[in-house]
Amino acid sequence: MNIERFKENLLVYGPDVRNWPKDMRSSGLEALDSSPELQKLVRDEERFEGFLKTRKYEEPSRNLARRIVTAALPGKKKAQRHLGEFLSEIFREFSLSRRALTAISVSLIFTLIIGFTIGFSIPSGYASAEHYETHLEDFLIYEGDVL
Amino acid sequence: MDVKLLHLDDESLICRIQEGSHEAFAELVDRHSNRFYRIAYRLVSSKNDAEDIVQEAFLKLWDRPNLWDPGKRAKFTTWFYRVVINLCLDHRKKKKLINLPENIEFADENPGPDVLFDVHHKQAVLERLLNDLPERQQLAVNLCFYEGLSNIEAAQIIGVKVKALQSLIMRAKTTLKYNAQRYLDGGSR
Repeated sequence: MNIERFKENLLVYGPDVRNWPKDMRSSGLEALDSSPELQKLVRDEERFEGFLKTRKYEEPSRNLARRIVTAALPGKKKAQRHLGEFLSEIFREFSLSRRALTAISVSLIFTLIIGFTIGFSIPSGYASAEHYETHLEDFLIYEGDVL
Repeated sequence: MDVKLLHLDDESLICRIQEGSHEAFAELVDRHSNRFYRIAYRLVSSKNDAEDIVQEAFLKLWDRPNLWDPGKRAKFTTWFYRVVINLCLDHRKKKKLINLPENIEFADENPGPDVLFDVHHKQAVLERLLNDLPERQQLAVNLCFYEGLSNIEAAQIIGVKVKALQSLIMRAKTTLKYNAQRYLDGGSR
């Protein structure tokens, strides 16, 4: 096994060559035994992995599993949702940024304003009673009925 | 707890959950909550947030068990790792993790032996080095080095081929080594 290959395996599989995959273990051990340079690389990798293992870790709460199971009790499954919770979930689903939410809200408000403006400015289609009666007469005469 | 459930594999438990079995759900949570907490903690660096994320993931499974498709033949753990990881990544985007206070840097100044030996300081630096890695490299290191998953399973979780995963690990460790060395050398270069 050449040095480059050994270095790659060191990074991927770690400094304990006995734990490397079977197909490269024996050639790895052979190369290691015969090369002080590779032995130094292995020691450096052990030191580096020792540093990685100092990473902070906190154990979970002892009641984590129970808490999750309780939260999923059958009675709670179809609990009614509040509108706010529902909207929050929708926003979370789409992962909208604040800018996007603001733009959408402003667009909706403008659309509503324009809609109301158009709605109130168009004359009502409501016909006066007199106008309605005249048209009704015309219709009945056309149909052959005589008033 | 039904003793028979203890002997069922994860995929069989999910089928029971899909039929509405809360006991099967409880068994699955009991088996795996700590394992998924660990990867969540590695990604969000907060115990409370990690616990909330794991809870959210399991409740999603309980509310919509048909999200799991037995036809796809992926292991439950492989699939659920992806669910938890996605929740963690969403959480990080929203929270925009702040990695270090401003006075800790790869300084031009020599940090001094008292600071170098400070465990909390080293942990904070290590966390920053890991968080500075590209997302996939972080996942590769967390899954393979910290969680001890096989290259095959880690590759399936991340959604890459094994060779690509190995490349991610190599690049991640090389970058970490280089940056860790810069930190340790301080201003002596």
